[in-house]
Amino acid sequence: MTPFKPGLVHTPVTPFKRDQSIDFDAYARLIEFHLRHAADALALPMPEGEDLSLTDAEQRRLIEFAVKQVKGRVPVMANVSDAGTSIAVDRAIHAEKSGAAAIVSHPPYFWHPKPSMVVEHLARIGSAVRLPFYVVSPPVESAGTALTTEIALELIERLPNLAGVVDASLDFVFMEEVISNGQRLRPGFQLLAGADFIVSASALGGSGVFSPLSGIAPKLVRTLFELCSRDEFIEARQAQEDIGALHHAIKEAGASGLMDGLAGLKTALVHMGRDCGLPRPPVRPLGEIERGRLAATLAGMAFLRAEPRGW
Amino acid sequence: MLGTLKGVMQAPVTPLKDDFSFDGDGFAKMVDFHVRHGAPAIAWPHHKAESLNLTIGERKLGAEIAVKTVAKRVPVSIFVGTLSEEDSLDLARHAERIGADMILTISPYCRRPAQQEIFDSIVRIGTHTDLPVLTYNSPWRNGEGVEFTGELTRRLIDRLPNYIGMKDASFHSQKFLEISRVALKMRPGFAIIQGVEHLLAAYPLGACGSFSSSGAIAPNLCNKFFASLEARDWASARECQFKISRLWRLFKEQYPSSLKGAMIMMGRPVGPTRSPLPTATKERIAFLRTQLEELDIMRTEPQGW
Repeated sequence: MTPFKPGLVHTPVTPFKRDQSIDFDAYARLIEFHLRHAADALALPMPEGEDLSLTDAEQRRLIEFAVKQVKGRVPVMANVSDAGTSIAVDRAIHAEKSGAAAIVSHPPYFWHPKPSMVVEHLARIGSAVRLPFYVVSPPVESAGTALTTEIALELIERLPNLAGVVDASLDFVFMEEVISNGQRLRPGFQLLAGADFIVSASALGGSGVFSPLSGIAPKLVRTLFELCSRDEFIEARQAQEDIGALHHAIKEAGASGLMDGLAGLKTALVHMGRDCGLPRPPVRPLGEIERGRLAATLAGMAFLRAEPRGW
Repeated sequence: MLGTLKGVMQAPVTPLKDDFSFDGDGFAKMVDFHVRHGAPAIAWPHHKAESLNLTIGERKLGAEIAVKTVAKRVPVSIFVGTLSEEDSLDLARHAERIGADMILTISPYCRRPAQQEIFDSIVRIGTHTDLPVLTYNSPWRNGEGVEFTGELTRRLIDRLPNYIGMKDASFHSQKFLEISRVALKMRPGFAIIQGVEHLLAAYPLGACGSFSSSGAIAPNLCNKFFASLEARDWASARECQFKISRLWRLFKEQYPSSLKGAMIMMGRPVGPTRSPLPTATKERIAFLRTQLEELDIMRTEPQGW
């Protein structure tokens, strides 16, 4: 069996109508947009897809919908993260039956579990399916529990299908330790950058990326990814700085205490002519002044002029 | 003297005598060892040197020994961060007087200062001395620590002509890039130096080097690592980085107790560690020996002074 290598993974947002129900027509358009702009795979619903704001039924529906829409053109990776182990396990089984190509999970949200509980939670999810399984190391600012190298190594011992770590912690030390020790236990163990900071993860031996900004600037993300895939890290610096500026503008927009950039991301999509509605509560949409400020910042980014407008 | 800062720069530990007093002769030997083994700069006293466990008098004495021992062979940076800003100003004046090449500072820590307070503090120190100034970015999880954001860095570069670089201990892709993409545009040559040698992830994005945690044990490895980066030999750089990462894991617990413990078996004993940090036990030292043997450090690195 050829090992599953996700490559440049786009992580679409979830479009909502004005009544805050999922807008499946827009979702179909969005998926086509991502495929046309060279996604190697899709992962959904990731945090950019507001997974925490979706019901269990909606998350299942999204996976089914995406698999049908994609029709095997690229792999669809299903995020099954949940606070409750059995809920996540059932969603993983559902995703496998629906035709997902891989399963993704964060450590359990909300609780402050001991490492052994995190291992148990993730081991149960991974062992419920035969699909490749990726665990996510959450951002350092996030509440709840971190994914440590020790946890990842224990999971490698327990799960033959544990394919790798998606690193959203952006923590150099974690990346160094998890890939060097992980590959000693399982050659081919993968490190994927969990946000668009591809240079650092790739320099350390990472081999893919979950890209939230691919909805805004798919060409630039592709350029950056290709440079990093060829080990041209020094040459990649300008593209990475542009991506950094875009990330910064989006994340800083608005006064959300969540600092997750969700409101900024949906506003930026509108700016690019791809209206996916507003984020669901509790994420506060940007006010008029904040929208104007973000639009002005984006208009000043020369590199965005090469990016596709509209669908 | 300043020249270009680059490479894995060495931050010596502080040798102590058995009665825990400062060992000036030992310190001179330590500094000289680093310079002879290729250190591109000397920086003292970082946390690794138990800076917060030294009196202001000891810090001045050590700074004098460092400057005298190095004797202009490489640049010397003196860390002036303390709990009290008045002490930092005093140390900065002293560093300038004795001929240090630059100072490294941070606003007084353990107090969660706001961005404006950090700004004011650095401006006060930076305008108090003519020496080039480095700042120390030390964000901890959940907003603790002293964090230099990209925006704060921009304001400081704007305000201080002698602000030349950042010791960055964020070890975080996004936080690093926030600083680098702003600072290097405004002030080309701004030196972003990794707090310890987690350097591979940052080098392609503009980091010029690192301060070292492992150089007292493995200076050859440090130098090989940086040479690999400059040669863009990423496979070799990865191998060095992963080895250094394993060493860091050994040393970071109650840093620098284990590091000092490991120095005994390299033939460079530097005495105990001051309380509240423990001194490495016999069992710990025996464990460190097995680890260093496994990493092939004993065979590939210099023994003795």
